[in-house]
Amino acid sequence: MRYSEITIRFCGIAGDGVVSSGKIFAGACAKIGLHVMVNDIYSAEIRGLGKSSSTIRFSTSKLNSMGDGIDLLVGMAAKESIVDLHDIKQEGSVMYDTSTPGSVVEEDSLVAHITPEIHGYGIPIKQLANEASGTNQGKNLVAIGAICYFYSLPPDMFIEQIKAIFARKGERIVETNITAFRLGYDYFKEHYPLNNQFEISKGLKPKTLISGNEAIAQGAIDCGLKFFAGYPITPATKIMEIAAKELPKLEGWTLQMEDEIAAISAVLGAWFAGKRAMTATAGPGLSLMSEMINMSVMAEIPAIIVNVQRGGPSTGLPTKVEQGDLNIALYGGSGDSPRVVMAPCDSEECYNGIQLAFDIAEKYQTPVIFLSDLFLGQRIETVAIEPNIDRERCTRKRPTPEQLKNYLRYQITDDGVSPLIVPGESGAIYSITGLEHSVTGNPNYESDVHSMMTAKRFRKFESMVADLPQADIIGDEKAVIGLAGWGSTIGSILEGMEIARKRGVTSKLIKSIMIHPQREDLFQEFFASCKKIIVPEMNYQGQYADLLKSRYGIRPIEVHIPSVNPVSPLKIAQKIMEANDELSQ
Amino acid sequence: MKSVIIGAGVAGITAAKTIKEIDRDAEVVVIGDEMFLPYKRYLLTELLCGLLTQDDLIFLSLELLHKLDIKLRMGESVKSIEPSKKLITLHHNEIIPYDKLLIATGCIPSLGLILRPYKSYIQHYYSLNDILVLKNRLPEIKKCIVFGKGVSCLDLISGLYNLEKQITYITKGKRAHFGLKESEFKDKLHDFLEEKGIDIVTEDRIVSIDTSKHGYRVDTLRQKKLTADIIFGWDHYTPNISCIENTSIKKRLGILVNARLETSEKDIYAAGDCMEIYNPCLKKYWINFGFPNALEQGRVAGENMLGREEEYKIYETITFNLMGKSLKARWWK
Repeated sequence: MRYSEITIRFCGIAGDGVVSSGKIFAGACAKIGLHVMVNDIYSAEIRGLGKSSSTIRFSTSKLNSMGDGIDLLVGMAAKESIVDLHDIKQEGSVMYDTSTPGSVVEEDSLVAHITPEIHGYGIPIKQLANEASGTNQGKNLVAIGAICYFYSLPPDMFIEQIKAIFARKGERIVETNITAFRLGYDYFKEHYPLNNQFEISKGLKPKTLISGNEAIAQGAIDCGLKFFAGYPITPATKIMEIAAKELPKLEGWTLQMEDEIAAISAVLGAWFAGKRAMTATAGPGLSLMSEMINMSVMAEIPAIIVNVQRGGPSTGLPTKVEQGDLNIALYGGSGDSPRVVMAPCDSEECYNGIQLAFDIAEKYQTPVIFLSDLFLGQRIETVAIEPNIDRERCTRKRPTPEQLKNYLRYQITDDGVSPLIVPGESGAIYSITGLEHSVTGNPNYESDVHSMMTAKRFRKFESMVADLPQADIIGDEKAVIGLAGWGSTIGSILEGMEIARKRGVTSKLIKSIMIHPQREDLFQEFFASCKKIIVPEMNYQGQYADLLKSRYGIRPIEVHIPSVNPVSPLKIAQKIMEANDELSQ
Repeated sequence: MKSVIIGAGVAGITAAKTIKEIDRDAEVVVIGDEMFLPYKRYLLTELLCGLLTQDDLIFLSLELLHKLDIKLRMGESVKSIEPSKKLITLHHNEIIPYDKLLIATGCIPSLGLILRPYKSYIQHYYSLNDILVLKNRLPEIKKCIVFGKGVSCLDLISGLYNLEKQITYITKGKRAHFGLKESEFKDKLHDFLEEKGIDIVTEDRIVSIDTSKHGYRVDTLRQKKLTADIIFGWDHYTPNISCIENTSIKKRLGILVNARLETSEKDIYAAGDCMEIYNPCLKKYWINFGFPNALEQGRVAGENMLGREEEYKIYETITFNLMGKSLKARWWK
């Protein structure tokens, strides 16, 4: 068969090298110049032999999501891979290890569950790995070698990638792994000569791989992040790890705090002192930060809080994706507590979006909650990010010399934004408090003052709209079926729309990184042009749909998917088709 | 009752169908070592020549497989059988219990001692996989060397002729007869092929093969030096019965069965090209090759696995289409 797009899943347990398989494969495909997306799934338990999988989708054209189904399952651990057989597409394949030690009963045998609709390929994976390394190590390389032949992929690129990844472990390890790769390749060639053709066009250029978490960290550093404070939490920890590694090189700081409350407090302190600062967490951490985010609102101290969403509530599903934190991001504060909420949809938006978040936070002296999610944060993908490096960037509104003479920290202005100094500047007093306050910053509980200051804090959001990026409208502008989505679900929506288009039904999508505030005029106009509106999202309540309903008075078809996996494009395509059927009746 | 059938060829699948048609509740597992749905092997050359599609070859469709509720396990082979425990072990060490077992593993083309060292240079021509691999190579092939015997060899030559390939056939005999004993056409066969432009080398055999810049170089016993883009060949067919090694199942070349296709071990049957049955005409054990024979053996084995007492009656001839001529064939006088 000929392919221009393939999805492969490595499935195994700890020690099988499942995640590194994904990395090696993705790295080689990116070197070839293909578009790649990788999604790893692993168990939440730190100890023990939990199941893990790495799914790699690669294509000659741009990828928006992980798609539906897999073409090839590599069952490194038989029992754990059985359930994944259901994800194999019609005419898809499974590779399994024939060198199983001891006997296996039918119920636990991966092979026993292979149906005639899919093709099974037995390889003595352990045996070949043992031949190469003298141990079980290198099983994943044997499998990768076999896959390389199976899809006629250029082995040189894989060998190059193996060298790059294992170079720091020494020449012997590199050679062992290359031998394992070659053994897998040769075994498959000898036993299953009838291979497939992945069509690689000429002139492809190597691509860069990055994860959403890496893009957020890099974007922040490139726009002047000087201080990071955080507390480790899946799936956001990677951001802190990068900050810890990179910031000291740029005279910046990373502090691991005792908890999330301390982390956000430290971030507010750094902004107060005039430095661009950020924290990153997940849902449980965001809950803990709620009060200090309120402090950020009340004291008008900027803050950047990256929330890489995972399944909740409570500890919930630490290693599974969900978009369930929109409500807490929007409304999780006491009093009238406005905050900016942004949600990037891919790694490119993670990079550019976090820079916009910093600019908005600093200019409008407000907390910005940057809602990524586990799938977006951890998946690696090939992207073309144009670096935008300005580490001295500053968007704060400075007082004029005249204003500085009689400095009022919370001066009432038309746009709601008061001039902002750094504490200690000569001749000015910078007073902050979590209490309601007057223009000087001194506590004041009078009704008129509270009304005036609340209006000021909200007025900033009206002024901000002019700085917001346009909402993107994608698809057939004349279509009457419209979709609205947010975050990583956008990728699945785009693919779902494409599937529906191929089936003869066109639709359009409105997407914006801005959840609050939004360019309401553009959304109003878009919704007015639709006869049916579909809002898919990965939560049970339909949190974004609720926001749109209250804001725009629409009655959308809500697609609530509280799934632990990224949204299926096919499911979205089905909803579009159903909407079309309803319109046709 | 759980019936396990080793081999997803015509005999094995026919037995499976027979069991399920008689007893819907019977559990039937078929284990085949090929990666494809059961197919009609005798049509492979038509597929090679583009006269049929892969779907046309299917002997048991997915729909029928599901309808009959037969569990087919493809691409798997049996490592061992333990008749005393009624267990079989697959190549990946999975253990499958059975109540009744049928061995229908067919036969495989084999090379003799002289040619075995050159195995990697010789193209297999037996399975669907072989044909699909060959189809991919066809555009680069002009000159072919074929050696071997039997109707399947004649079938290959016929296919290559249809594909307009240049063919050299090497035989140990004085004339090309492909082991046919049928008197109607056998004497004319040699001349018929030569008239079609096939180069026949008689009373000779290949003794060595080497690769060359443009394909292969072949040396024969009579010191002929030939070149080809591809070499096909086999010395004989051998029953594929490695799975019964280390068992007490009686065998000669193939597994020995009685007229009810029972082996020497209780509840184990054999059918198709892997078994030998007593031929009263020949007065000796003998392998009854061929598609119609396999069909009938599968049916008889299936019925007997359900406790019936059917006896297999030997079929003697098959009909073969040779370049438009209908040819009856059998392998004994």
